[in-house]
Amino acid sequence: MAQTLTTLPPSTHEFADIIHRLEAGGSMLPDTPENLKQIIGIYKAYAVPMDFYWRDLLYIAEQVFLNPLPFFKYFLPESYLQRHNHYAGDDAVLRIWRGEATAHPELLAFIAKGKTIPGPKIFHHLLHDRINMEFAEACMRAMFWHGRDMGIGKFDAYLDTPEYKANAERAIKAYFQGNPIMLGLYRLFPEMFIEQVRQLSYYANLGLFWEVMAPVFLEMSDLYDEGKITTVKEAMDFLVNGIFAAAGRPIYHHVYIRGQCYEIVPESAGFTWLYEAALPYVEAVFYRTAPFRGTKSYNAQAEQVPNQQKDFHYGILYADVFPVGTAGIPPTLLMDDMYHFLPEYLKEYYRQHCRGEDDMLIQLGISFQRSMYNVTSAVIQALRTALHYPLDDPNPEHLLINRQFYESQLDRFKRPEARLRDIQRTDYR
Amino acid sequence: MLSILLWLPVIAALLVGFAPFSLKSDPPGMCLAARLRQITSLFTCLIIAVSLILLWQFNYSDSQGQFNEYLPWIETIGLNYSLAVDGISLPLLILNGILTLVAIYSIGDKVERPRLYYSLILLSNGGIAGALMAQNLLLFVIFYEIELIPFYLLISIWGGPNRAYAGIKFLLYTAISGLLVLAAFLGIVWLTGATDFDYQSISTLELSPKTQLILLTILVVGFGIKIPLVPLHTWLPDAYTEASPAVTILLGGILAKLGTYGLIRFGLQLFPETWRLVAPGLAIVGTITVVYGALSAIAQKDIKRMVAYSSIGHMGYILVATAAWTELSLLGAVAQMVSHGLILALLFHLVGIVERKAGTRNLDVLNGLMNPIRGLPLTSALLILGGMASAGIPGLVGFIAEFLIFQGSFTTFPIPTLLCIIASGLTAVYFVILLNRTCFGKLDNRLAYYPRVQWSEKIPALILAGIIFILGIQPNWLVGPTETTTNAIASATQLVQTYAQR
Repeated sequence: MAQTLTTLPPSTHEFADIIHRLEAGGSMLPDTPENLKQIIGIYKAYAVPMDFYWRDLLYIAEQVFLNPLPFFKYFLPESYLQRHNHYAGDDAVLRIWRGEATAHPELLAFIAKGKTIPGPKIFHHLLHDRINMEFAEACMRAMFWHGRDMGIGKFDAYLDTPEYKANAERAIKAYFQGNPIMLGLYRLFPEMFIEQVRQLSYYANLGLFWEVMAPVFLEMSDLYDEGKITTVKEAMDFLVNGIFAAAGRPIYHHVYIRGQCYEIVPESAGFTWLYEAALPYVEAVFYRTAPFRGTKSYNAQAEQVPNQQKDFHYGILYADVFPVGTAGIPPTLLMDDMYHFLPEYLKEYYRQHCRGEDDMLIQLGISFQRSMYNVTSAVIQALRTALHYPLDDPNPEHLLINRQFYESQLDRFKRPEARLRDIQRTDYR
Repeated sequence: MLSILLWLPVIAALLVGFAPFSLKSDPPGMCLAARLRQITSLFTCLIIAVSLILLWQFNYSDSQGQFNEYLPWIETIGLNYSLAVDGISLPLLILNGILTLVAIYSIGDKVERPRLYYSLILLSNGGIAGALMAQNLLLFVIFYEIELIPFYLLISIWGGPNRAYAGIKFLLYTAISGLLVLAAFLGIVWLTGATDFDYQSISTLELSPKTQLILLTILVVGFGIKIPLVPLHTWLPDAYTEASPAVTILLGGILAKLGTYGLIRFGLQLFPETWRLVAPGLAIVGTITVVYGALSAIAQKDIKRMVAYSSIGHMGYILVATAAWTELSLLGAVAQMVSHGLILALLFHLVGIVERKAGTRNLDVLNGLMNPIRGLPLTSALLILGGMASAGIPGLVGFIAEFLIFQGSFTTFPIPTLLCIIASGLTAVYFVILLNRTCFGKLDNRLAYYPRVQWSEKIPALILAGIIFILGIQPNWLVGPTETTTNAIASATQLVQTYAQR
């Protein structure tokens, strides 16, 4: 590492300090105890609703499927709450979290009681006293919409193959068996139904992605509580290791109709977690998404929205976390979800700053932004490991290639909306 | 009874200024300030209670001064301790108490030199009450002049960066105003041969029209500085902008009313015959003041200055109404004094909160204060209410006062009244500019680390907003005590004019 610094001249990039930090194996987020406390607390608060998101995404992809009136798609059945996470519990394929494989206890307690008053599920649903699955669906749609031109992985291209269409058709016909109206509609507008199935494949994709991330975040929180993660760098390294450990996990889409499994995207197609779920997710959700139609209006004719999808920059790394929500994905919904599961130390921390209880949603939104810069750092470091050279490589040419890689990554944060500059400051709350 | 209103604030000021409270509380200074604020507000509540008792006991059908108190003092110069209230001064006395209470909470709890500050606030309350109750011309001038001292100190010590300049300018202008009023009063007494300065014993009917005109002109200029009328207004934007919000509330809310009160009490009532002569000119000056205030407000970038210019404009209505001297217009003039005092106090209080929290008054910087989590949502909402009240939206007290004025003045001065109505439309223009720039739009999250607005800051604004709303839908409570007095003034002066014309 010392060699890295002495061999190459200092970077002249606008974010030279951050590039040097990355070259030293660090994160884009400054390594301070305060930052560590914020990101770990938020990982925990994010992981609990995420435990609901992945279960419900898979439930919709596998069970609700093409139900034309999916009123109860957010009402998770007991079987999905009891479904074992593949990365937690005793029967895990790879035990990342030492906790249970079924739904998180805090999540179950929240579903049972809500935060307002005890009552039937429909009551909590209508009061929005629940996990906001709309956020998870917005993330899924971002992946679906940007999937075509991200140039990452082969999952999206597979959705256009005759093989996929044949699989989808089998499932559609089985699902609407005995329903001449829907079958008639399918004959009239087959592409509309196929497109819906494509979207459901993305439900499965994101569900399988988050099934990994929830135990990763929960384990980080436990390690922090035990004093085993003490720096931001250690937290990032844990994520990098997690990414590689789960990289080969299959990404598939199975549908269960009357007890029979229809493999729309079979495991045998060979899609894996890192390239077909994790990287597209980061690109689509952290960077791109789309302008959120909140209180701020965008005028496409006045070029307030980029012409090219690849130039979109409305993700959490650019988001204005204020409650009007100019991020592509409504940040207020996720902020509200995380608010229910904040660890006590983070609540206490927020009470000491800005307006305490009154603006805790924004404060935790900013912490979330910090934590996602750390996740993005982990992805950048993982990509560098996969595509380029080790940080302690003795060859200066290799180090130069590494630097060019980092610089090209950080070029994306040069635009004024990017919050990379802000998260370097402690007073950005 | 009236002496209580005069002496209670003075005693309270002495108590706050000199009583040996523990100064070593922890944290020092702040705790003392909070305690002194409590004591001051307690006394102010007492003052308001006394004035409300007066209102309760007030005989609505009597147009003359009530609760008279008379003590011979220095008889050789004709100065007597003579107090009374009538339908014009009573609403203003109540307003004086309410605005003092608001002012106490308008500077925040970290005021420096709290003893002096709260003493001066109380003294100014006493001075204004004295001037409103005085039935002796010399006694009026004494109070009219004496309250300049606390106000000068309040501007010069607790004001903004340019406070020294603003304080001196205020002192010079208003001292000259006091001198002119004194000169006019001396002239009245000496030339009429009255034995003392008692208001009831003075009659100017025997003076020649030319003498009356000279004396009235001196009075109008004297009070015109205080109101202020264009072109005598140049002290106001500086004083209002540089003074702390609390002092501005008292300056604009009640002190300026001494000018219009003086015009009705001593201009119109002492010189009914000559008033007819100067009334058209006064109406024109009033209209110019209204239009100038509105247009200047539109051009401002500083929200406090904008509200200050709006104040100039709204005081012009009172002059037009007074010049028109009909029953309805005089009633409207008094209603506008109260309404303007309440609305201006609300606006300056809120502007003060915005300045304290956001650290700026610049229209180009402020934005998105309506933001529910990081902005100042209640402050912004009340600012909108204040703007609506000031623009004369029905259902709020501003509408009642302006409607009475326009209705009452139109028969006498149709064109000036129409111009005033157009200018009241301009009020909506600058308040829309103000609200659109400050409250709406998107809050800039690089700036929006504003501290929380305390309940001690919200409550006075809520009280004022409540009064503005209640008097807006129940205007009889506003005009009830005044109606008999203003009707009597209108009919008496018109009688005199008819007599003079014969």
